Amino acid sequence: MGTLSDYRSVDYFNLDELLTEEQRQVRRTVRAFVTEKILPIIADCYEQQKFPEELIPEMAELGFFGANLQGYGAAGIDNIAYGLMMQELERGDSGLRSMASVQGGLVMYPIYAFGSEEQKQKYLPAMAKAKMIGCFGLTEPEHGSDPAGMETTAVKDGKNYVLNGNKTWITNANVADVAIIWAKTDDQIRGFLVEKGTKGFSTAKIDGKFSMRASHTGEIYLNDCRVPKDNMLPSVEGLKGPLSCLNQARYGISWGVIGAAMACYDEALKYCLERKQFDKPIASYQLVQEKLVDMLTEITKAQLLSYRLGQLKDADTLLHTQVSMAKRNNCRMALDVSRMARDLLGGNGITLDYQAIRHMTNLETVYTYEGTDHIHTLVMGADITGIQAFR
Amino acid sequence: MNTLVCIKRVPDTGARFALTSDGQDIDSRNLEFTISPHEECAVEEAIRIQEKQGGSTAVLTLGPEVASEQIRESLAKGIDRGVLLETDGSEWDPQATSQAIVNAVQSIQKTGTKYDLVLFGNESADSGDYQVGVRVAAALDWPCITGIKSIEFQNNQVVAKREAPGGWELFRLTLPAVVTVKEGINVPRHPSLRGIMTAKKKEIERIKPAKPELKLLKQNLRKPQEKSGEIQILGHGIEAVPAIVAKLKELGVI
Repeated sequence: MGTLSDYRSVDYFNLDELLTEEQRQVRRTVRAFVTEKILPIIADCYEQQKFPEELIPEMAELGFFGANLQGYGAAGIDNIAYGLMMQELERGDSGLRSMASVQGGLVMYPIYAFGSEEQKQKYLPAMAKAKMIGCFGLTEPEHGSDPAGMETTAVKDGKNYVLNGNKTWITNANVADVAIIWAKTDDQIRGFLVEKGTKGFSTAKIDGKFSMRASHTGEIYLNDCRVPKDNMLPSVEGLKGPLSCLNQARYGISWGVIGAAMACYDEALKYCLERKQFDKPIASYQLVQEKLVDMLTEITKAQLLSYRLGQLKDADTLLHTQVSMAKRNNCRMALDVSRMARDLLGGNGITLDYQAIRHMTNLETVYTYEGTDHIHTLVMGADITGIQAFR
Repeated sequence: MNTLVCIKRVPDTGARFALTSDGQDIDSRNLEFTISPHEECAVEEAIRIQEKQGGSTAVLTLGPEVASEQIRESLAKGIDRGVLLETDGSEWDPQATSQAIVNAVQSIQKTGTKYDLVLFGNESADSGDYQVGVRVAAALDWPCITGIKSIEFQNNQVVAKREAPGGWELFRLTLPAVVTVKEGINVPRHPSLRGIMTAKKKEIERIKPAKPELKLLKQNLRKPQEKSGEIQILGHGIEAVPAIVAKLKELGVI
């Protein structure tokens, strides 16, 4: 049944009391889905480097894609419920949360925010139902933290644009039905919807990853790829376009990584209570208790950050610098917690029989993607000093 | 086919729980609440009946205001209508509970909704009395069958199946009828996020039944000792066989 489960999320500061009935219900649905469908198979998926595609229709049916958008077949939940959804998905695996982040935050969101009505009607309901999978092409082989330097171009030719360039580290590139490609026209960075099968559009899978193994990652090649000008997102110009998408996704990450950390803490606590050395549970030793307390404390602090961030987002007063603080802090926190959990699990901690090493290696990616730790540090540094350190 | 499902809000205790200091209840701080599992299946069955047969579905519970959460969960899954028989949160015995449900069913029937089928869980996850469904059927003078794992309809009759050792017992009931179902009859769906948002807008009807004099009182609860969970190794290789046989005999398996 799965409704009566052993797992409880961390709630040391009674934050559940602040949640509405809908928010708790959303969490309950996602938690049950992850417990019943993801946890039994995720270690195998990770080992075999495969995303559990077979579960995408159910994720769509439950309303996970673009859940915080209004209308167009989206569920229309508030941003705290959306955060809790991300938290539960990433309790399963960062790759699972990435799938939902990309589909909703990086592809549906820009169509929703900057697309024409025709584009919205064509893509949003289909993407909410996962009849179409999307990917987001911003990062290039030579331009990661510095997207303004992108080399991909879009040259106007009559009623078309001709795209040329390469994109890399693109989640879902090789399985996507539609890609949002950010490219430079004469004067500005613009977003283009490019469908699979368009001449001049091709992809390749990135193999050999030791992180995010249960997630598709690929490259996109654009060689004289011709798209109608109606495929351009009409309502946004410049870096604001991709950066506002990243803000959505980073918001989700700030919540998501808390789920990965909670999974590691929960597992480590249970393990330390059961594992005996020198005739006592290892949880009885001071060095172990200190680690468990540090993990719990850091998770709780991250929860408080994300909860407040959700309130600000729902009030539409959220600043991107606040998102930077939460993304930076919570990714650091989750990575530290997962490492401590791995340590507490001893030798067992290096196997996929336990969750810690899978979360730990995944979190190395999450720490880096969607704005590296360094970049978020410098974004905040610029905000508080007025001096940009990276220009 | 108009189906009414009666559900109960119970603590989702999982493996670990504590009692309140007076031993009267489960300490529900930091606990989630849920629909009792057999009844969750009854909710699912009602939705499936409606999907196949049309008609309406309703869910009813007796409990404090917070029990509206379990009604709303049912609405989020697709139930049409919710009725809360609101109490002050104190425990009602099965007799009082079933009387309040009967009164509610009869008063709803007077407003024009005739129920063909009332579903219950076989027993609730907390008190496990196995009584309320049977008592409601008796008071309404409707046929009743318990512990059901399959429901079908033929010629305006319910065909209900109950698992028996090595096979199935088949029953036919004329409508209206009361059926109590068991886990395994179906796999209940989870409410979708869209369903949760839609349910938010649905209204829950509230009735405050008069509290009757309770004739069955709970003395207190006692928590059994937790199982040790220790693993005993009986031996290795072929030498372990006699020890295993002895253990199986001790456990009454052979």
